[in-house]
Amino acid sequence: MPLLMVKDLHKSFKGHPSVNGISFGIEAGRCVALLGPNGAGKTTTLRMLAGLLPQTAGTITFGGGSPGTDYRQYLGYLPQAPAFYNWMSGHEYILFAARMSGMNAREAAAASGAVLERVGLGSAARRRIGGYSGGMKQRLGLGQALVHRPRLLLLDEPVSALDPIGRREVMELLRDIREETTVIFSTHVLHDAEEICDDVVLMNKGTIAVQGTLSSLRAEYSLPVIRLTTGKEDSAIRWLEALRHKDFIEEALISDGKAVFNVTDVELARRTLLQEAVELDIPLLQFEAGSSTLEDLFMKVVGT
Amino acid sequence: MKDLNWGLIGPLLALQVVLAIIGLISLSKTEQVRGPKWMWVLFLIFGNLLGSVAYFTLGRKEF
Amino acid sequence: MRRLWALYLKEMLESVRSYKLIWIPVVFIVLGIMQPLVSFYMADILAFSSNVPAGLMENMERPAASSVMAQALGQYGTIGMLILVLGTMNSLAGERSSGTSELLMAKPVSSISVVAAKWTANFTVLVIAIGLGAAGAAYYTVQLMGALSWRDVIAASGLYALWLLCAVSLTLLFSAWLRGPAAAGLSLLLAAVMSLVHGLLPVKLNWMPASLPGMSAGVLADGGTGVSLAPIVSAVLLIIICIAGASLMAGRNKLPV
Repeated sequence: MPLLMVKDLHKSFKGHPSVNGISFGIEAGRCVALLGPNGAGKTTTLRMLAGLLPQTAGTITFGGGSPGTDYRQYLGYLPQAPAFYNWMSGHEYILFAARMSGMNAREAAAASGAVLERVGLGSAARRRIGGYSGGMKQRLGLGQALVHRPRLLLLDEPVSALDPIGRREVMELLRDIREETTVIFSTHVLHDAEEICDDVVLMNKGTIAVQGTLSSLRAEYSLPVIRLTTGKEDSAIRWLEALRHKDFIEEALISDGKAVFNVTDVELARRTLLQEAVELDIPLLQFEAGSSTLEDLFMKVVGT
Repeated sequence: MKDLNWGLIGPLLALQVVLAIIGLISLSKTEQVRGPKWMWVLFLIFGNLLGSVAYFTLGRKEF
Repeated sequence: MRRLWALYLKEMLESVRSYKLIWIPVVFIVLGIMQPLVSFYMADILAFSSNVPAGLMENMERPAASSVMAQALGQYGTIGMLILVLGTMNSLAGERSSGTSELLMAKPVSSISVVAAKWTANFTVLVIAIGLGAAGAAYYTVQLMGALSWRDVIAASGLYALWLLCAVSLTLLFSAWLRGPAAAGLSLLLAAVMSLVHGLLPVKLNWMPASLPGMSAGVLADGGTGVSLAPIVSAVLLIIICIAGASLMAGRNKLPV
């Protein structure tokens, strides 16, 4: 039973569809990237999951309950540009967030101290939030989302607005957090998704273009290609030219000891080529089979 | 002309001074006000009750 | 309840940090004590500022203590109401426009407790402001003009406070979906219209909350023979409707537009 089940979710604003029938399930303990360009409907989806926007149609089921049950107490949510009460200190805000999550005063005090240390705001906890930097606010946002140990964490573009240092800090935190809870985070950067996620839901124009585990997508969307580089000896060049006539090679690009072959069967091609290279004592410098083109796929979806 | 009862008028003046001082403290702490800060300083110092009320209600962006 | 209390403490902390809990009561005290002082020195002020014939001045009657007290409370119906309404207008609208409500409403909090906490916090400021202001006004009136019945002063202030609370509650309701200034303008307009309509048909519409200021002055004038329950009940109903409506609207409008 997945932790979260989304079925045929729709949202339109004044007749304009923003999310147009998406379905997915998320198993407990997974880290899922909601990937897609700006305007794909990621924020709208996350807001519906957080209970901030009512859906136009479709159901959201959490933890096997009946659809429509309020599950906000199990949820941690960090919006794209979190706004805090600038007149509060970081510590006061986390304490407030803990109380709002249903903790009593003593639990809240204990949990907020720990979470502030964890997000690296221990020394700045007594300062007013108004004076925090962007990275500190984002970490405070993570803190308020984590303080009540949520079962599901929803993060909307958690690193997009940060400078490289702030981005690194937050990514390190996320790597840590994903070990203990289920995470859905949206991003328009494929690299961020690849860095920490197991699963990808690729959205475009309000629908899901592709979804699956990162490894299965890599396998599925890789072209059968073999790239190799040899030394510049005559024997090697002659061997590469001879390969053009193999059955399993559809297309060959050879120049200066570098070759790219489009093949019909990567496994067969790899075995044959490596065997021949050993037998003929060809000085192989580089060999690569079935290279990933997830980036190409993403660009194709995003570009159109 | 009756003699002015300073025991009663004094507190009125004192409260207005207190109000202006609170306004000046608030002004020194906030970064964003509507209009230039020096204008609100003048309002608070010379504007009596209405100057202070104007600052607290209209001057600050976060009420 | 636990969350309601924490929300109320947060609202009060904001009132302290924004100086609202200090400056609004101070302004109310100043308004309250200014009225008896101005009444007392009116003759001198007139003599000082214009050439009123001397004979007129000697015939000018000093107003009664009760009517001075009623005038002092009357100050709260204009400037006082304006200040309270402006102080309430961003309660809900500000959280929405700044985006803090997005974080708040993602927590398991009901919109009714958010609204109830805000209403109670604004109620607290109002009670402190009117309490101190009316006490100051009454003290000055007694010192300068003559005796007042404390019981009447408390009853009259309470009735006036209820009228102001209606305006504050309306502002809270409108700020659940309008921008702050629009909410303030609309509730002030509505309060003015209610007063006007009541002024046109005072007998037929004496059940309206808008008859509370008149009733308050009546208590001071004759010790409360003309007090009726109807405007109090209708005011309480109006306030309850405002809180319920604000909760409903705040539950729908959580995100900045």
